[in-house]
Amino acid sequence: MLPESDIPIRLVDNEAHLDFLGAQDDPWLRLLIAEFDRFEGFPRRQLSEALAGPMPRPAPQWKRRAAARILFRLWDRERPQAIQPALLREVLFRCAAQSKAERARVREETAFVLQIPPEQLSRWLFCDLPSERLMKRPTASPSPQVLRQETNLAIAQAALMRAATVSIDLVGNARAIVRLARLRGLLCSVMAQPNHAPPTLSLSGPYALFRHTILYGKALAELLPRLAWCNRYELRAQCRLQGRLRDVFLDQDSPIAPAKEPKPFDSKLEQRLADDLQQHATEWHIIREPEPLTAGKHLIFPDFLFQHRLHPERRVLVELAGFWTPEYLSQKFARLAASNAPNLIVCVDAERACGVQAAHETLRLLPYRGHVDAKALMAKVEGLGI
Amino acid sequence: MRLLFDRGTIVLHDLPSSLDPSIIPGVLWDPRIAAWRAPGRLAYPLASELRRRDVRLSDRPHPQLSPPTGFQPVALRPYQQAAFDAWHEAGRRGIVVLPTGSGKTRIAFAALAATRTPALCLVPTRALLQQWANELGKYYGGPIGCLGDGQRSLAPITVATFASAYRNMALLGDRFGLLIVDEAHHFGNARHDEALDMAIAPLRLGLTATPPAPGPTLQRLSTLIGPVRFELKISELPEDSLAPFDRITQPLWLEPEEQRTYDDLRTLYRGAFAAFRITHPVAKWDDFIRIAANTDSGRRAIAAWRSCQRLLAFPRCKQQALATWLQRLSDRKTLIFVADNDTAYRVAREHLLMPLTCEIGRRERSVMLEHFRSGKIRALVSAQVLNEGLDVPDADVGIVVAGRGGEREHTQRVGRLLRPSDGKRALVVELVVQQSTEVQNADKRWSRLVA
Repeated sequence: MLPESDIPIRLVDNEAHLDFLGAQDDPWLRLLIAEFDRFEGFPRRQLSEALAGPMPRPAPQWKRRAAARILFRLWDRERPQAIQPALLREVLFRCAAQSKAERARVREETAFVLQIPPEQLSRWLFCDLPSERLMKRPTASPSPQVLRQETNLAIAQAALMRAATVSIDLVGNARAIVRLARLRGLLCSVMAQPNHAPPTLSLSGPYALFRHTILYGKALAELLPRLAWCNRYELRAQCRLQGRLRDVFLDQDSPIAPAKEPKPFDSKLEQRLADDLQQHATEWHIIREPEPLTAGKHLIFPDFLFQHRLHPERRVLVELAGFWTPEYLSQKFARLAASNAPNLIVCVDAERACGVQAAHETLRLLPYRGHVDAKALMAKVEGLGI
Repeated sequence: MRLLFDRGTIVLHDLPSSLDPSIIPGVLWDPRIAAWRAPGRLAYPLASELRRRDVRLSDRPHPQLSPPTGFQPVALRPYQQAAFDAWHEAGRRGIVVLPTGSGKTRIAFAALAATRTPALCLVPTRALLQQWANELGKYYGGPIGCLGDGQRSLAPITVATFASAYRNMALLGDRFGLLIVDEAHHFGNARHDEALDMAIAPLRLGLTATPPAPGPTLQRLSTLIGPVRFELKISELPEDSLAPFDRITQPLWLEPEEQRTYDDLRTLYRGAFAAFRITHPVAKWDDFIRIAANTDSGRRAIAAWRSCQRLLAFPRCKQQALATWLQRLSDRKTLIFVADNDTAYRVAREHLLMPLTCEIGRRERSVMLEHFRSGKIRALVSAQVLNEGLDVPDADVGIVVAGRGGEREHTQRVGRLLRPSDGKRALVVELVVQQSTEVQNADKRWSRLVA
């Protein structure tokens, strides 16, 4: 992560605008990459010193520092095959402490004992330590475009690392964001918006109630590359930057490189059902992960939306209840009932779903054992009479 | 009613209708979960308050780990015993202030043995993590957990670095009944304070040689750990508590060309700083650095200041003086304090001395400290690692080449040399470049140490 001092930002009142890199920065990025190439085999410290000076082509100071950080991260280090530097240090410094000989003589003797070339001794002495490591070009040297993308992601994440609270309006892929947020220990509350606008997710940690803490910054920053997979999003964060809480705004136009594509299915159960439906639901479009339903302060994520090919107004939502306890199941049904979605079929594990149907008659239940029977599900869908 | 621990906080469940939690200090309504919530630190005070109001609690947080057993008795010197008693009598919450080298850790071990509750010991650095675990092993036969420096094990007695505790307190907060905070002065300034605020431990002991000056930081520290319960200055310690020491300040002069460069650089950044102070009369140096970084002239000023620091870190006069001192003191165990890692490696390469920096791994550090103890190596050079807490018992000479941390750092550095042993007389050599900021800084450091 970039340190705060290396985040390129412009401050306007209480807002911090992240200064992302664009195509106009490619020329100096190319020079920066060339500068790294020039220092191959040299200690990182020397390269850092060189980078502190001016470049042949003017480059915005903070952007350049941020990009250099990313390059340092991408570059490898040289590992001497002949000896472990820690062993070299132990032998050399012990010999030196016990010998009255000249320092140069001690170096030669140590090199001889360890059977390493004397001229390499000084070079390898600290080459495993972060600031002294010997720079080694990565197998695939990054292009200016790749470096730009990586730097922009790092800039946005570094700002979010200092976030006390985050709220996001998002369309598409909300489930993955909520799931990841919860996995990271964040509280996720949902605010429904009028006129069918996308719901707003507010994300923060439990302790954030008491202080504007950046304790949850790492968890919040981890969400960012996943957001790039949403169809649309607007993120507002309060970040502690330059000693004050400042508003940071990001949306789908922010040049942020996406993370790995999220897995299409949560479980094998869903995947198998989707495969089976290919054969048994030929008259229906099967849409994975449709928009979430709002139920009070919660969001419900149906797994599938069935939309008839000829009569698109015929729509049925299907939810696979992957539950573990009766309490959890009851709570889930209560929320589903509150969502007031009449065309919703819930597939429940037959062994655990006892006694819940009577309480929520508006819901259609399909018990299953092991896997969901696609034929039985289609019969249920057709049987809704819509 | 139930009080449940939730990731560093306490959530109030099943409230009686007669209770209005908003009047209890620290309890806030959390609209995200539609419940009342308090920081973990208030778990016990909250339970007491509810009991006082005749509210029956069916469940409340308590330390989840089993109590440690297998402590050896810890012998304390009279002043250590007095410090321990003061803390104990004050409800086992608060801070003990003792000079470096006077055995604060012993008091912590006595607290662990006396309270017999699962305890988390917080230390500032990875180097101290290992040292605490090793020292604890001499008094405690049970397993010792470690969090930090690549280790992740929990036990009724666990040692953690500040950074690890900060990251993990949401999970650890309800495991321990006693918190021991070594070098407690690092808290109170909001940087890692969450680590203390999210723990339920009702018993807390802070240890420091350099408490913050009275003000908001000390006030916050009092809230998190407790007030200062006992304080003793170097001059108040019994004579045999610390080794006596001699101080030599060696004045040095930059070479003419270095002096010219230094003066030019200093003029540049002082001019920029003076101009800044006109527009920002109450601003501090940190504010200057932050604001100056936004303009070309400001960046030039900061660069000039950094160059000055680099120049003073190890100019030719210091190189020569260090070589002379090392030759003269070759039979004594010496710690060399420098300003940064780069200088530590330079000194190491030039004089073939082992550097002890934050970049050196745990195993190698332990091996080298052991070699130092056994006399296989005679000197260590360090920028920061030896500044705080690390116990190097036999070292009796300290050469201060340069520093960045001001008076507090100096107090800690000198303290490394003052652990007493038979016939020991420590020597502190300070290399001070004349006609530079070092002169004033050196005077200030010593006046604070003596005070």
